[in-house]
Amino acid sequence: MDKTPDIVFRATGLTKVYRSSAGEVHALRGVDFQAAQGEFIVILGPSGSGKSSFLNIVGGLDTATAGVAWFRDHQLTALDERGLTRYRRDHVGFVFQFYNLVPSLTARENVALVTEIAQKPMAPDRALALVGLSDRADHFPAQLSGGEQQRVAIARAIAKNPEVLLCDEPTGALDSATGVRVLEALAEVNRTIGATTLVITHNAAIRDIADRVLRFADGRIVEETVNATKKAPAEVSW
Amino acid sequence: MVISPLRRKVLRDLMRLWPQSLAIALVLACGVATMILGNGAYSSLSDTRERYYNDYRFADVFSDVTRAPRALLDEMRAIDGVVAAEARIVKLGLLSMPGMVEPGTMLLVSLPEDGDGALNRLHLRQGRLPDPQSIREMVVSEGFATAHRLRPGSVLSVVMNGQRRDLTITGIALSPEFIYALGPGEMMPDPRRFGIGWLPRGGLEAAFDLQGAFSNLVLKLAAGTSVDRVIESVDRLTAPYGGTGATGRGDQISHVFLDAELKQLSAMVKVLPPIFLLVAAMLVNMTLSRLVTLEREQIGLLKAIGYSGQAIAQHYVEFVLAIAALGISLGFGAGAWLGAGLAQMYARFFTFPFLIFARDPQLYALAAAITAASAVTGALLAVRAVLALPPAVAMSPPAPAEYRSGRGKLWRRLALRQTAVMTARHLLRWPLRTLSGVLGVAMSVMILVASLWSFGAIDWMIDITFYQSERQDAQVVFGMPEPQRAVYAAGQMPGVMKAEPFRAAASRISHRNLSRTISIVGRPASPELSRVLAPDLRPMDMPENGVILSETLAAVLDVGPGDRVTVAFLEGARRTVTLPVSGVSLGYVGLGAAMELGALNRALGEGPVISGVNLLIDDNARTAFYAAAAAAPETGFVTVLALTVARFRETLAENIVVMITVYVGLAAIIAIGVIYNFARIALSEQGRELASLRVLGFTQAEVAGILFSELAAVVLLAQPLGWVLGYALGRLMVAAFSSDLYRMPFVMGREVYATASVVVIAAALVSALAVRQRINTLDMVEVLKTRE
Repeated sequence: MDKTPDIVFRATGLTKVYRSSAGEVHALRGVDFQAAQGEFIVILGPSGSGKSSFLNIVGGLDTATAGVAWFRDHQLTALDERGLTRYRRDHVGFVFQFYNLVPSLTARENVALVTEIAQKPMAPDRALALVGLSDRADHFPAQLSGGEQQRVAIARAIAKNPEVLLCDEPTGALDSATGVRVLEALAEVNRTIGATTLVITHNAAIRDIADRVLRFADGRIVEETVNATKKAPAEVSW
Repeated sequence: MVISPLRRKVLRDLMRLWPQSLAIALVLACGVATMILGNGAYSSLSDTRERYYNDYRFADVFSDVTRAPRALLDEMRAIDGVVAAEARIVKLGLLSMPGMVEPGTMLLVSLPEDGDGALNRLHLRQGRLPDPQSIREMVVSEGFATAHRLRPGSVLSVVMNGQRRDLTITGIALSPEFIYALGPGEMMPDPRRFGIGWLPRGGLEAAFDLQGAFSNLVLKLAAGTSVDRVIESVDRLTAPYGGTGATGRGDQISHVFLDAELKQLSAMVKVLPPIFLLVAAMLVNMTLSRLVTLEREQIGLLKAIGYSGQAIAQHYVEFVLAIAALGISLGFGAGAWLGAGLAQMYARFFTFPFLIFARDPQLYALAAAITAASAVTGALLAVRAVLALPPAVAMSPPAPAEYRSGRGKLWRRLALRQTAVMTARHLLRWPLRTLSGVLGVAMSVMILVASLWSFGAIDWMIDITFYQSERQDAQVVFGMPEPQRAVYAAGQMPGVMKAEPFRAAASRISHRNLSRTISIVGRPASPELSRVLAPDLRPMDMPENGVILSETLAAVLDVGPGDRVTVAFLEGARRTVTLPVSGVSLGYVGLGAAMELGALNRALGEGPVISGVNLLIDDNARTAFYAAAAAAPETGFVTVLALTVARFRETLAENIVVMITVYVGLAAIIAIGVIYNFARIALSEQGRELASLRVLGFTQAEVAGILFSELAAVVLLAQPLGWVLGYALGRLMVAAFSSDLYRMPFVMGREVYATASVVVIAAALVSALAVRQRINTLDMVEVLKTRE
């Protein structure tokens, strides 16, 4: 390839040890990782494999015990609490397994919540249009189905035009058909705004829609697969 | 002993929720403490007084005369209902003490008769009673002796009727007549400048030319006797001898001040404990409702495995009872401790030979029962939901809080930030709880407004009374009315820059069937020193004929300008005249009536005589003036207004810090209790949302801001409500405490509202800081993984 990929994430020797009275738990044991701009990466692995710890550090929610992680020219592993908040605020979009919408705000208001503090946001209505929810903008979370709530959460995550989109089990609480719609929204967003997307899942069916698949086990990346051709979300089911 | 699992859960819940439980317990403790303090102090004071009065045979009726023959006493004893009568000599003497330049007064009272039947008997603290034949021995009041370090054997110089006498103190005593020993013209007891001296009758008879006569009469009545009827008979009998109108205990200074204190205590008991108990019940309800919501899965589980709804409800009631038990024991301790403090404070104003401490177990039991009941009431309202919850529903997680507001457009039009919309909707989602929070904080503001205003009102009263109305530096009251020319003699005393005469005449003023015994004061047509102020504070000229009544007196008599009142003078020729009311004046102390000096003398049918002079004194010549005034033969007593005000302020200052601390403490406990619990509940409900916002890049400060803006809304909404409630309570207090003796001006300055709000907002900030740490440590990773 003549074109050097634009590297967004770089991590070397990422280690996370949780210490408690019961002893030490090694969640990450020296993970090396890179991700390019616009890449759609699916991270698989059983619970306790370290994938969530990895996502937490990359997302600026937690600190590493050892190793370095870079987001472009920000060394994440050197940032303090304030710096990490700044990083999440300016660069990262999050999608949670249980949506975590604010129940007292409508769909549009949930999105606006983030655009109000973002540097170069898109209009909340545009974000909702991207996930196909324009007609539900004035509904409260309690009035939306699970899949709709997750799509609002995606709209909320992308409305700041993030460079990174981190999704922790985004389809974990959804049935297959609804999950597919959510994945479609994610793929669409990944295409439109070019955000590097990391999706954690234990659902192996999702692997086919990724550019690259990482498998975690016992705190390490044990397998890396690059999909020569990726499937459209509509083509997968579970 | 095996502790059942649910009991264990109570204990663990208490430990887990200790800050909230403690906050509630403290509010309950305030209710218990104020109940015990108020009721305890009330019964202590009234029981002590009751027993003191009985044991020392405090009289029921009191009457002053100019000079009446002792033979009159038999006629008094013959009045229906009179069981004992004693003729006394009661006169003022002037103190002449080394080391005290300012004028002091001693009330000289002839010793009670011997025997068990004597009235107003003395309680000897030290020494012995004077030899009945001695004219050089006396017993003095304890406060006075303490202030001057006098003990039996000390010699005291007293000017009696213009003659100086050296008297040896044989003993130190207390009397039920002078529990609250207020000197003439004073506003607060000052044991340094006013004392009571009891002497054998012989010495006083000689000094005041009253051989075989008396100047004061005290009567003891049989139980159930009509005091008014006896007074009527006494007045008829004493009229020829210069009787100035008999009075019952209800007008006896010492008794009246004790009554005022008792009235205040009973008002406190009616107002404060219910406030705390109401707030505590609201807090219990708020906190328990949230706890039940959080534990619905556990409740469902318990029901599923066979616990009855009642057993589970009982579990939550036990939790609340445990908190109540803590509050009650804290309240018992605080009540007893504060009670001891209050007793000490009373000891400064009131002198009793003993103090009956009311440690009535019934009172404690009642306080505990009422407190527990109010806590349980709060709990039951919250626990009702437990009973209704079917096990299956309880075990599935609750649906997301439903917001189906149609007001989205309204918020958008207000262009609020989304975080503000969150705050507003969350507050509106639970209107009852928000209302409880607002009401609770408002109660705290109310307590402060309703207590703090009085200090400003006292300042106002002092300013009006001593700087705008009574502007003289000193007042010399003659022993007997003197001819008008005495004012010139007074003007010649050292340091006197200006002298203004006045005449005071005892009289019974009446309108229809309403009447009062008062002193009508005659002043020059346009007085410059002792002035009468109109309600708008303008000085009033004395009318050519007619009388100006103080607002209180006009209200008592139900008259206004233009009406006519009947004045029966109780001295001189004892004439009765009808006078027009020509104006109404401002007055806070006593019932006042004013006339022009000449007009008053004409009405009395007397020539130009005066009762005393008001003086403006050169500051540099005060000492010389005091000496000259004390030495002048016509001087009855001297009041120095600066000393009166200083003593008043000093006494106030001694207590003001304590009182403000107590009120601020009580208000702060309510404010912190309400706001802390409110914050914890809001955090518990929204913790997940707030943690999510942290993940989305909101800073700690921004997230804390969301919760704090909710608290701020509650605290701010509570302010105006608290001001209004405090204003209303203050108004009620003024109405409740107003008496013929004194009336508080209702002056509610803006600074009162401001101070109350500052204190409550400070308490709110403390509570906010206490939850801030919890916001800062919200677990972001946790919310990614779990559902509520």
